[in-house]
Amino acid sequence: MTKVPKISPEIIASVLDKTESGPVVEEMDWDRQYISQAIKDLVEKYDVRWDKDFYGVPSDDSLADRVYEAGLELATKSGLYCIDTHRQMTWTEEELRDVLLATPTQVSAGEGKDQVTFKKRNVEENVHVGVIGGPYGIPVPEELFIPVLMSYAQEPLFDIIDNPSLETTYGFSIRADSPWEQLAVWQEANLTFEALERVGRAGMPIGCANSAASPLGELSSTSYGGFRKIDWHHNSILSELKISYADLIRAVHFAHTGAISHNFYNPIYGGYAGGGDGMAIAIVAGMILMRASLWGESFNPGPSHAHLSCNTYPPMIPSQAVALQALARNTNLIMSGFTRPVAGPCVKDLLYEIAAITLAQVPSGISFTKAVHSATGRIPLHCTPLEAKFAAQVTHSAEGLSRADADPMVRNLVEKYKDSQKTMNAGKPFHKAYDVDTLKPSSEWQKIYDEVCQELEDDFKLELDF
Amino acid sequence: MANNFNWETSKSDMLKYLLAADNQQATSLIKDALSQGVSAIDLFEQCITPALREIGTRFESLDIFLPEMVCAAEIIQEINEDVISPAMETNSDMVMESAGKVLMATVQGDLHDIGKNMVGLMLRVNGFEVIDIGTNVSPEQIVVQAEQEQVDIIGLSSLLTTCLPYMKDVFDYLTGKGIREKYAVILGGAASSQEYADNVGADGIGHSAATAVIICKQLMKDRSLT
Repeated sequence: MTKVPKISPEIIASVLDKTESGPVVEEMDWDRQYISQAIKDLVEKYDVRWDKDFYGVPSDDSLADRVYEAGLELATKSGLYCIDTHRQMTWTEEELRDVLLATPTQVSAGEGKDQVTFKKRNVEENVHVGVIGGPYGIPVPEELFIPVLMSYAQEPLFDIIDNPSLETTYGFSIRADSPWEQLAVWQEANLTFEALERVGRAGMPIGCANSAASPLGELSSTSYGGFRKIDWHHNSILSELKISYADLIRAVHFAHTGAISHNFYNPIYGGYAGGGDGMAIAIVAGMILMRASLWGESFNPGPSHAHLSCNTYPPMIPSQAVALQALARNTNLIMSGFTRPVAGPCVKDLLYEIAAITLAQVPSGISFTKAVHSATGRIPLHCTPLEAKFAAQVTHSAEGLSRADADPMVRNLVEKYKDSQKTMNAGKPFHKAYDVDTLKPSSEWQKIYDEVCQELEDDFKLELDF
Repeated sequence: MANNFNWETSKSDMLKYLLAADNQQATSLIKDALSQGVSAIDLFEQCITPALREIGTRFESLDIFLPEMVCAAEIIQEINEDVISPAMETNSDMVMESAGKVLMATVQGDLHDIGKNMVGLMLRVNGFEVIDIGTNVSPEQIVVQAEQEQVDIIGLSSLLTTCLPYMKDVFDYLTGKGIREKYAVILGGAASSQEYADNVGADGIGHSAATAVIICKQLMKDRSLT
């Protein structure tokens, strides 16, 4: 029997053809004209603006809809830039609207008792919001991979675990685009399944494969005995609205294997997209274009500050909130909220940053939270499940929250960390914030966590689910 | 006449024109000053350079964004090519020294370039000559280009830890060819750490565009002393 891919070969071919048939564009012109100038024009045309000192949660539906129209226009007029062929890839507005109509409205991952389902969620909709916990892509040494993963997988509030990346494989450096990546991702898969077995959650879905940069990792390990179709496979486009053959290779692989594909795009705050207004437009365009080109089931905007690399910088918060609202109100895309704070474990600000961005994202229509890229994910081992658990608790406490209710909470939280954010306090690594044998938080980290939980309950009357 | 030239006003006007992306006014300012007898080199050092530095500072605090900084750098490049350089050619005693020559590359396996591009621009606006050879560049190519361009500093960037072995290759190739001491090599990007930089023998590591400028200036100072 012929196996039918989840995306038809005709659609796949039509996208690949765009990488060869579109107009050739100089990359500098792409950045300047097709992104920067195009976005500036759209900001004006659709009057996308808010008070520059507003660091809360917008609740203006008209603004959200204008951001959506601006993003759709950017997606239509600029499209994507293929960095391998230096060509512009475009879709008509009608094609993009058809793509959006055909997007799945729910996705199930995992198997057996560990299976989870995420559904498209509307702004302020009072339904369950999922949680992906995990040290997503944060490098960890081989000997700590299992303890770190177990410490996350044993947490009942997490629906999916997003893997760390191995620092080395069998004691050797992992070299991109080489057989070392294959060796590493198979080791990652084997260690992952061992950790899941040990905590009794063998069917739990895994965000993968995170120990390889090139598509070799996915192509090799999403295979017999390796990562499963029901795991949570990553794919992305590049900033700003650029795509590579590597991204398309992964997409075609997922289309044919039927593996779940989670797509992310990280526009740069302060980069070619501009400030918060432009970034919101870029996010909308990026999510639409990823569905058209990578065919994912779920979509994650994870913007980065140009210098701090975080997504919790105060002016970025309303931008992400309004972009999510724009997409939730006008599409059926299943979207996640990302949490990439500056601070790291054992630093109080880490929890304030998490609470602020989560309380902005949940009422804005996300279907699940991704938590946490502690210390912006840049420092090996600087992650613990306690901050991810905290993000999960805040997420669930905000499920019935309106944007108007969330707004003063977010503004209050931002005040607590905004002045110290530039110190980039990365805190402590896993083995100093957690007991590696008992997999429990240190008394220091537990105390900080307890204090902030109490603050949120007292100040905001949030009911944190323990 | 040149002795009465108002440097403060010219600096603030240049900054204003650069921020407004007003190529014409910026060019006119320089041409007018030259016609008043102000030397090209003084204009570059006392008007253009401080205005560009201020642009860099404002980008560092994100009071302006990347496109504005790119635009300012391009305007100055045009002024240098069309006005300053020809003016200097007429006076053979004038020599405008670059702050240093830097080769920049994102190493093999990595396609990310925004961080590298920002560092390149910040170096440019601080008077460095920058040769950017792009992303996914093999170690061999980096070394060959450094030799061809006769640079002072090699800047290597990587966002991905799996690309760090290619960074190390650059050091190995430089050492293997016996030219390691010829270049200062600095690292940037999320993947590299101080520990890694120490292990491979890097001359510096910066995690922001501003830090990279400080490091490069210090390295050039150190090199001029040796």
